[in-house]
Amino acid sequence: MSAYYDVDAILTDAQKVPCTFELTVPGLGFLEGNMSGDMKQGSKVELPLWLGEMLALSQSLDTSSLVTIDPPSALSPRVLNALKADPRTVDLRALAPHFYNLGARILELFDEEEMIEVLSQTFKARAALIADQAHNPRGALGEGADFMRGLDENERQLFRAAHDSAKGVRTWMTHLKNK
Amino acid sequence: MALSLPPGLTPPEIAFLCEMELVTIIPRQRLEGVELLAGPIRPLHPPHRSNIPLWLALLLKRQRRANILPPPWLNTHSLTAILDHETEHAETFSPPPRLPPQPSSNTLPTSPPFLPHSTADAAPDALPYHWLELGEMLLEAASDDFEEADNVRKLLRGLREVRMAKLRSGVEVLDAGGGFKMNGVGGIEVGEGRAFITGVIDGLRKIAASREQQRKDRDQEELENGYSGTANYDDDEMDMQ
Repeated sequence: MSAYYDVDAILTDAQKVPCTFELTVPGLGFLEGNMSGDMKQGSKVELPLWLGEMLALSQSLDTSSLVTIDPPSALSPRVLNALKADPRTVDLRALAPHFYNLGARILELFDEEEMIEVLSQTFKARAALIADQAHNPRGALGEGADFMRGLDENERQLFRAAHDSAKGVRTWMTHLKNK
Repeated sequence: MALSLPPGLTPPEIAFLCEMELVTIIPRQRLEGVELLAGPIRPLHPPHRSNIPLWLALLLKRQRRANILPPPWLNTHSLTAILDHETEHAETFSPPPRLPPQPSSNTLPTSPPFLPHSTADAAPDALPYHWLELGEMLLEAASDDFEEADNVRKLLRGLREVRMAKLRSGVEVLDAGGGFKMNGVGGIEVGEGRAFITGVIDGLRKIAASREQQRKDRDQEELENGYSGTANYDDDEMDMQ
């Protein structure tokens, strides 16, 4: 889906997700901070997405997978409900710097129609606000400052794109006057 | 790795294209005709009006060899009417000018730069494709040819704000696979909105990628299982909207 060298994709994969070990793994206790011990069955560990995904999808001989992944706290029902109530007040950056990318990766693993719906609605509602902020030159210091701080990486790119194109037109207009 | 310029045209490029538009001038001096690649420019005989490309009109205006006649839609009366139309209809943009009837087979077909949308006999009630660029350039170079240049400038700014707000609020109706009606949107507005609107669509598609993949898999399955899938496919399409 994403390019191999895409920094954002790499950072998305490095975000932690809660995983539960289904089997006891000898010598893997260091993941838990237990340097010499074993990883007990049923213990919960936060693993990077790429590792958790690989362990969860790799099938061992008796067809039960090594770990199961739970949806990360950034996409917990509590957060989704808050987004449904008002998408504009949630600080996505505090939840996960690559919130939407993480959501898209999680949705590849889990089948959740509702999450797609909530995330799409959130993205749309916040995009409209981002556009207004980008076209309002004093937006970054005004009342929208809190909102702007809570943008995730995708939204920041969107803001930059909208801001740059508005700036391009303004520069052209002032250039016209100075000619 | 990536091209340093964003996709689409930059505002100066759009303005450059706009300079091909024909405008009406009243020459003050007699000038020989010129043969150019873009077509011949007829000899100018004052005080007869003549339609010439905008770049030449601006040049002659700067040299004080001609006066520019602003197009009929570029005055306070028409712009106020269009602005009213824009504010009344919150959903749609004001319609573009009507195209001339299909030319008969022995005449040359006309395409946007050669349509007389900005000459003195253009329609007074519609904004052509290059309305903002043309208006700004004319106001800058030939403000003394306008009756109320300041009011026209103010109205242009107002129109631009109203229409950009509409373009931005359009994202509310966007969908991963949906479209957005942009009839009547001008060249520089397309250039300004492009980066944002494509960004929103890309983001929505990324979020709904798993759903899209599912649908593709299902379609593939149906295709393999036989012909029965077509009706279902239409139903799914309706659900998506």
